[in-house]
Amino acid sequence: MHSLIQLSIIVLLLPLLSFVLLIFFNRRLPRGGDFLGIGFLGATFAISVYIFWEVVVTAYDPSFRIAWDFTWIDFGDVPGFGPLEIRMGIMIDNLTAIMLAMVSLISFLVHLYSTGYMQGERYYGRFFAYLGIFTFSMLGIVLSDNLFSIYIFWELVGLSSYLLIGFYFHKDSAADAQKKAFLTNRVGDIGMWLGILILYSQFHTFGYEEIYQHIRDGEFHMSQAWLTAAGILLFMGCVGKSAQFPLHVWLPDAMEGPTPVSALIHAATMVAAGVYFVGRIFPVLTPDALAVIAFVGAVTAFMAATIAITQHDIKRVLAYSTVSQLGYMVLGLGVGAYSAGLFHLLTHAFFKACLFLGSGAIIHAMHHEQDMRWMGGLWKKMPWTFVTFIVATLALAGLPLTSGFMSKDAILAGALGYAEVEGGGIYYLIPALGFFSAMLTAFYMGRQIWLVFFGKSRTHLKPVDEHHGDHAHDDHGHHEVHEVAWNMRLPLVVLAGLSVFAVYSPDPLDGAKGWFMHLVQTPQTAVVSSGGVHEGEHLEAAMYAEAAGHGEAAVHDDTHAVDAQGHQAVEAHDDHGEHHGPVFDDPRQAAIAHAAHANHDTAIRYSTIMVASGIGLALIVYAFGWINPEKTARRIRPLYLYSFNKWYWDEIYDATVIRGSLLISRILAWFDSNIVDGLVNGAGALTRRVGFFAGGVDRYVVDGLVNFTAFFVQTTGSLLKKIQTGRVQTYLVMVLLAVTAYIVYYVFQIMP
Amino acid sequence: MLSLIVFLPIIAALIIVAVPSSQKQVIRLLSLVAALAQGVLAYFIWQGYDPSLPGITAAANGSLDGSFQFIERLPWITLDLGTLGTLNIEYFLGVDGLSITMVILTALISIIGVLSSWTIKKQVKGYFLLYNILSTAMMGCFVALDFFLFYVFWELMLLPMYFLIGIWGGPNREYAAIKFFLYTLFGSVFMLLVMIGLYFSVIDPATGNHTFSLVAMASQENYLPGSILGPESVTWRYVAFIVLFIGFAIKVPMFPFHTWLPDAHVEAPTPISVILAGVLLKLGTYGMMRINFPLFPEVFQASLYVIGVFGAINIIYGAFCALAQQDLKKMVAYSSISHMGYVLLGLAAANTEGMTGALYQMFNHGTITAMLFLLVGVIYDRAHTRAIDKFGGLATYMPVYAGLVTVAWFASLGLPGLSGFISEAFVFVGAFSSEVTRSLAMVSVLGIVFGAAYLLWSLQRMFLGKRKPDAVYELQKNAEGEEMIHFHDWKGKNDLDGRELAMLVPLAVIIIILGVYPMPVMGLMTTSINKLVEVLSPMMMTALH
Repeated sequence: MHSLIQLSIIVLLLPLLSFVLLIFFNRRLPRGGDFLGIGFLGATFAISVYIFWEVVVTAYDPSFRIAWDFTWIDFGDVPGFGPLEIRMGIMIDNLTAIMLAMVSLISFLVHLYSTGYMQGERYYGRFFAYLGIFTFSMLGIVLSDNLFSIYIFWELVGLSSYLLIGFYFHKDSAADAQKKAFLTNRVGDIGMWLGILILYSQFHTFGYEEIYQHIRDGEFHMSQAWLTAAGILLFMGCVGKSAQFPLHVWLPDAMEGPTPVSALIHAATMVAAGVYFVGRIFPVLTPDALAVIAFVGAVTAFMAATIAITQHDIKRVLAYSTVSQLGYMVLGLGVGAYSAGLFHLLTHAFFKACLFLGSGAIIHAMHHEQDMRWMGGLWKKMPWTFVTFIVATLALAGLPLTSGFMSKDAILAGALGYAEVEGGGIYYLIPALGFFSAMLTAFYMGRQIWLVFFGKSRTHLKPVDEHHGDHAHDDHGHHEVHEVAWNMRLPLVVLAGLSVFAVYSPDPLDGAKGWFMHLVQTPQTAVVSSGGVHEGEHLEAAMYAEAAGHGEAAVHDDTHAVDAQGHQAVEAHDDHGEHHGPVFDDPRQAAIAHAAHANHDTAIRYSTIMVASGIGLALIVYAFGWINPEKTARRIRPLYLYSFNKWYWDEIYDATVIRGSLLISRILAWFDSNIVDGLVNGAGALTRRVGFFAGGVDRYVVDGLVNFTAFFVQTTGSLLKKIQTGRVQTYLVMVLLAVTAYIVYYVFQIMP
Repeated sequence: MLSLIVFLPIIAALIIVAVPSSQKQVIRLLSLVAALAQGVLAYFIWQGYDPSLPGITAAANGSLDGSFQFIERLPWITLDLGTLGTLNIEYFLGVDGLSITMVILTALISIIGVLSSWTIKKQVKGYFLLYNILSTAMMGCFVALDFFLFYVFWELMLLPMYFLIGIWGGPNREYAAIKFFLYTLFGSVFMLLVMIGLYFSVIDPATGNHTFSLVAMASQENYLPGSILGPESVTWRYVAFIVLFIGFAIKVPMFPFHTWLPDAHVEAPTPISVILAGVLLKLGTYGMMRINFPLFPEVFQASLYVIGVFGAINIIYGAFCALAQQDLKKMVAYSSISHMGYVLLGLAAANTEGMTGALYQMFNHGTITAMLFLLVGVIYDRAHTRAIDKFGGLATYMPVYAGLVTVAWFASLGLPGLSGFISEAFVFVGAFSSEVTRSLAMVSVLGIVFGAAYLLWSLQRMFLGKRKPDAVYELQKNAEGEEMIHFHDWKGKNDLDGRELAMLVPLAVIIIILGVYPMPVMGLMTTSINKLVEVLSPMMMTALH
C-alpha cells in the first residue's frame, strides 16, 4: 500500500473517531470535548496538507493517480457470470488531493470558529460530534474510487446535514427544514442510484475506472439512450445535493442550522459534492446529458440570482448566492469546461465560507439579528469582519484580482465556446444567462455590503412586534456591537487570503496559467469512442471539428494554426510555453476546448462590463439613493413578489408533490382498511353466514331428519308396544284374528 | 446439535410446568436460560458452519454430507398403506446457507423476546409456556428438511401465537388473534394438499421409496414421470406452485393478504410483535426459497414478473399506508409490509445479487424491526398510548431513547452504514440487472423516498419541536430547575433503563457492524444462494429436459 494511501485512511478515520468519542462522552469531558474535535481535525488538516504537498507540489503531474482497493463483498462463483466481488477502495489524484486539503482546512477553521460562535449552547459538545461525522463523510466522498462507496458517503453527508440543520431541533422551523433537506436530497438520490444501477447492470462493477474502460471497449450493450439516461440520472444526485433547479428548495431553508454549519456544509463543501461527483463521472456523460446539465446549471444560476436580490435575511441572500454559484459550476461542467467548473468549486468554497463565517460574526455581534434591514454602519465596529467580507464579496462578484474572477471567467468562456460549437441558437442562452447572472451577483452583493456595513445603524427601526426570536432580548438594539474574538477572526482572515488570485495563478486575468488548471484537466470522454461509432456520429464529429474552425488534423494538435476566431486562444497558449491542454481523442471535446480558449478574452470583456454595471446599479440604488428601491419594488410589484417569494417553488411543491403524496397515502390507507380488509372481513362474515345457514340446515334439515327418524321409530315403537302386553290370551286372540283374516283373504282370492 | 437448539425451549417449558405459578422470577429465568443456551448453540453452529458447502440439493454424487451440515436423520413414522406402499416420514434436520442465517436470527430474537417479556404481568407461567413452544416451533421450521416435519412445526407455531395474542394482547385482541389464526390456517391447508401430492410424485434416489425429503424434492430428476406433480403434469404443477405461494405469501405478508398483520401487531404485546416481525414473517419468504421455488423452478421462472409486481406493490403501497397512520405501531407494521416487499422483489430478480439481497434483507429486517417494535414498546409502557401526535419534543427529555430511535429509524429508511441499506441496495442491484424486473426496480425506488418520508415525519412529530399542547406527558422542574419529563403513573426511569438498553444496544451494534461489513452474515449465504440461482435457472431446466 502506498504511504499516501495509508495517510489518507488515517485522514478519513480521524474525524470519525472524533465523532464517536464526542457523541458518547461530550457531557463528561471539560468544554464538551471541543478540544478533541479541534485536535483531531488539526491532525486531519496537517496530514491532508502533507498529501496535498506530495501530490500537487512535489509530483506536479496532471496524470498523477494512485489507488488501492479491497474485497468488501464476495459473491463467490456466480452462475452464468463467474467470480463476482464488490470492491471498495481509495483513489488519490490531483483533484482528490486538492479537495482533501480544502475540506479539511475549512472544516478545521469552522471547528475553531465554532468554539466562539457556539459558546454556551446547550448541546455544544454534540455540535462538534456532528461536525466530525460530517467531515468523515465528506472526505469519504472525496476519496472514493467507486460509485457504491460514493453513494454511501453521499447519504452519510445527507445524514450529517440533517442532524446539523436540525441542531436547534426544538424549533419547528429547524425540524421542518431538516426533514425537507433530507427528503429533497433523497429524490435526487434515487435518480443517482438508478444511474448507478444502469452502469452496474452492464459491467457488474462500481469502480469508476473499470466502468470507463468497459464503455471505451464498447461493452455497454444497451442503447446510447440508456447511457444518456445514466448520465442524467447520476446528475440527479448532484441536482439534489448541489441544490440545482428544481430541487434547490431545501438549501435556503437549511440556513436554520447554526451559521458555522451553513459555511462548512451548505456553502463550501457538501453542496459542492454534487459538482465534484459530476466531475468524477464526466467521462460517461454523453453530449445530450451534458447539454441537460449545462441548461440546468444556467437556469439555476439565473433563478437563484433573481431571488437573492430581494431577500432580507443576510444568510438567505448568501444561500441563494450559493445556489446560483453552484449553478455556475454545473454549467461549467455541462459545457465541457471541466477544469473551470471544478476551479470555481475550489475558489467558491473559500470565499463563500468566508462570507458565511463573516455573516455569522455579524449575527453573533448583533445578538442573533439576521435581517439586513435592521443592520447598517457596521464597518467601523467590525473592521476585520468588514475587510474580509469585502474581499470575499469581490471574489464572489468576480472582480479582477480575485480568485472568483478567474474561475467564473473560465466558465463563461467555456459557455461561449460551447454555444459556438453547438451551432448557436438556443445554446447561446447558456452564456447569456451566465453573464446576466454575473450582473445580478454583483448587484445583490453590493446591496448586501451597503445594507450591512454602510449607512447608519438601523437596529432601532426594527418593529417591536418582530421580537419573537428565540434569542430576542428585551433591550434589543441597545447592545454594543463589538468585533469578534480571535478564534472567529482568524478563519476569516485565512479564507479571505485564499480568495486572492495569487494563490492560484500568476496571471490575475487567466486561471489557465495556474497550477489548478494545469493539474486538473478534462478527462477523455468514454462515450463517443465506444463500441463502433455510427456513420451519423462520424459526420457529427466532423461537423464539430469544422465548427471550431479546423479540420481533422487539428484535432490532435493543440497549437495548430486556426482561423481568426481561434487565434487568440493560440496566442494565449504561446504566452506560457509549458501549458499544454490535454490531447483529446474525441473531436467534439477537442473542438469545445478550442472554442473555450478562443473565447477567453471575449468572456473577460463581457463579464467585466456586467459586473461593473451590477456594482454600479447597487451603488446608484443603495449608496447614492438615486433610485428608491421600495418605490421601484412597488412599481414592478408582480416581479418583485415573484422574486421575493422565490418563484413560488415551495408553494408549488406543497400544492402538488406534498399534498398529492399525503392524499394518495390517505386514499390507500382507506382502501386498505375498508376495501382490502373489508374483503377479508367480508369473507369472514360470509363464512359465518354460510355457517349459520349450514347450522340451520343442520339443525332443521339434517338433524330434523335424524330426529324425525327417531321420532318415527319412537312413535311406532310406543304404538306397537301397546300390543306387547305379555298376556297369552291377547296373543291367542291376535293369532285367531290373523288366521281369520288370512282365511277371508284366501277365500276372496280363490273366488272368481 | 440442531435437535438440542430446537427442543431446548420445550425442555424449559416442561420444567416450567413443574414450577408453581407464583414463582414468576424462576419461570422468567428458566426461559432466559433456555434462550441464552439457544444463543450459545447458534454461535457454535455458526462457527462450525462451512460456508463453502452449497446445500439446497444433494451434492452432485447424491450425498447429503457434501451439501448440508449438522444433519440429523432418523425414520420417524412408517405406515403401511397397503396398495399405496408405505408412508415414510423422517425426522430430518440440517442447515445450509439459507437456514443458518435464520437460525442465528431466531436465536437472537428469542433472547430479545424473553428480555422484553419481563414486563408481562398476567399469568406469567402460561405465557412463558406458550412462548417456549413458539420458540421451538420457529426454530424447527428453519432446520426441518422433511416437508412433513416442516409442516408439523409450521402448524405448531399457530397455536401459541393465537393464545399469546388472544390473551395477552390489547383491547381488540380476540379479533386479531382469530384473524391471524384463520388466515394462516387457510394457507396451510393448501400446503398440506400440495405436500401429499409431492410425496406421491417424488422418489428418494437413495432408497427408491416415496419421500417427504425437501432435499430430494429440490432435484427435478427425482420426480416420477406420470405422477401428479411429475414433469409432464404442467397444469397441476402450476396449481401446486400457486397455492403454495399463497400459503407462504400470507405469512410474508404479501398484498392483498397482509391485513392480518397490522391488526396482529397493534394488539400483540411488545415481545410478541418482536417475534412476529422479527422471525415469523421470514418464514414466509424462507418457505418460498426452500420449498416453493426450487420444487417448481419452471413455474417460478414463468412467474418472476408477477412476484416482482407484488413485491413492488408491497414496497410502495406499504410505504404510503404507513405515511397515513396515526398509531406508531401500525406505522411500523406497515413499514414491515413495505420492507418485506424488498425481499419479494429480490427473489423475483432470480440472480445472485437479488437473492442475496433478499436473504440478507430478511436477516436485517429481523434485527431492525425488532428494534423498532421494542422502541414502540418503550414509549407505550410509559405513556399508554402510541398516537404519534400526542408527544412532541421527546428528544429534549429522553435523549438516550431519542438517540436509539434515530439509529433504528435511519436503519429502517435504509441509511448507508446501517445494515438495511446493503440488503435493499443489492435487491435493487439484482432486480435492475434482471431484464424481467428492471422496470419494477425503477418504480420501487420510490419506496426509498416514501420510506424516508413516513419515518422522518413521525420522528419529527414525536421527538422534535416542543411538547405538544395535548401531549400525554407532563413537564416538571427538578431541584436544579431543569425541566424533567413525567409520565402519569409511571414509576420507572423516564429515559431507557438497563433492561431496555440490554435489548436495544446489542441490536444497534449488530445493525451498525453488518452495515459496515456485511460478510460475517452474507458470507454464510453466498454459496447456497449461487446454488439456488443455478437450480432455479432456465439453463438448468433445459439441461434436464
